[in-house]
Amino acid sequence: MTIKVKVRNAETGSTVDMEMENENTMSEIVQGAAGYWKKEAGAYVLRRGKKLLRGSQTVLEVGLKDDDEVELIPDPEGGYRAPPF
Amino acid sequence: MIRAGDEDGDRWDRSRRIRWLDMERVQAGRYLVLGAGALGNEAIKDLVLAGARNITLVDMDHVVRSNLNRCVLFREGDSAGKRWKAEVVAERASDLDPEVRVRAVVGRIEQLEDREWKEHDVVLGCLDNIAARLHANAHAYYRGTPYIDGGTDGFAGRVQVIVPPSTPCLQCGLNKSHYKVMEKRYSCTGSEITYFRPSMAAEITTTSIVAAVQVREALKIVCGRKDAVIRNVVHYNGVRNSWDELEMSIEPSCPLHVSHS
Repeated sequence: MTIKVKVRNAETGSTVDMEMENENTMSEIVQGAAGYWKKEAGAYVLRRGKKLLRGSQTVLEVGLKDDDEVELIPDPEGGYRAPPF
Repeated sequence: MIRAGDEDGDRWDRSRRIRWLDMERVQAGRYLVLGAGALGNEAIKDLVLAGARNITLVDMDHVVRSNLNRCVLFREGDSAGKRWKAEVVAERASDLDPEVRVRAVVGRIEQLEDREWKEHDVVLGCLDNIAARLHANAHAYYRGTPYIDGGTDGFAGRVQVIVPPSTPCLQCGLNKSHYKVMEKRYSCTGSEITYFRPSMAAEITTTSIVAAVQVREALKIVCGRKDAVIRNVVHYNGVRNSWDELEMSIEPSCPLHVSHS
């Protein structure tokens, strides 16, 4: 089943709607969103509310539903890329 | 009998007024600090001022002049003399408190002997790359030693507290974007090829905040207040001045948890 989830860019506040299937993983959402916003190479994570979502978790496992929102946030590594803010 | 002015003669008087802060435990604690860069400078400064006595500091690098915008314990002469960061920090820590013992280890964290990971009560990761963090995470977790990882990037920061075996570890929170960063580094390095790694923006305010949180969590751990530590990671946005504490879950396929169970 295809659902539509809003992904928010924590650095800019902008959002994009992303279609996904139950078997899509959080890693795929990270890659899709980081690519859409042309993020610099670096590490990012997804949060939903107060939970950090693991890369291997699927849409079904996380329980994402139509119109839910997740947020893409940089995972500071210290010493690699340009500042996100 | 008490004596007027006694309070101000006791170095730790103000610390002792924090009820949960057990100064005997703080002073008896054994702290392993990985990295003597921006976060490492701040962490050592905070640990020493907080009363830590036994610190091991590991770093493989020497001081350069561009470190001086955020490293409180480095001086111009250290960069001119290309001195080892760990040795400089150990020396300056003694200036802050002559009773502290900071053992400087000049080398890579991968060269640390296995016993080092279990001989310390807490490990503070003040590192600048994912591969080194994973090494620290794995060794500390395997030895059952709490690991507090800090990271900064411009005005962004994060602190994760890992208390084995109950909490998720650093590896549990990684996704493909982290591995891509590592892959790029590994695929671009070799005996004849040097991978260009752009210098990151770093400044003192975010660095000092992140290191302070790391040290405060370490103090909680050595004082027996594991119940009060961050669960599981905090992300700091220095532009908005916002903190978010985020829960994580254990990755079922994470090799550390599989091997531990």
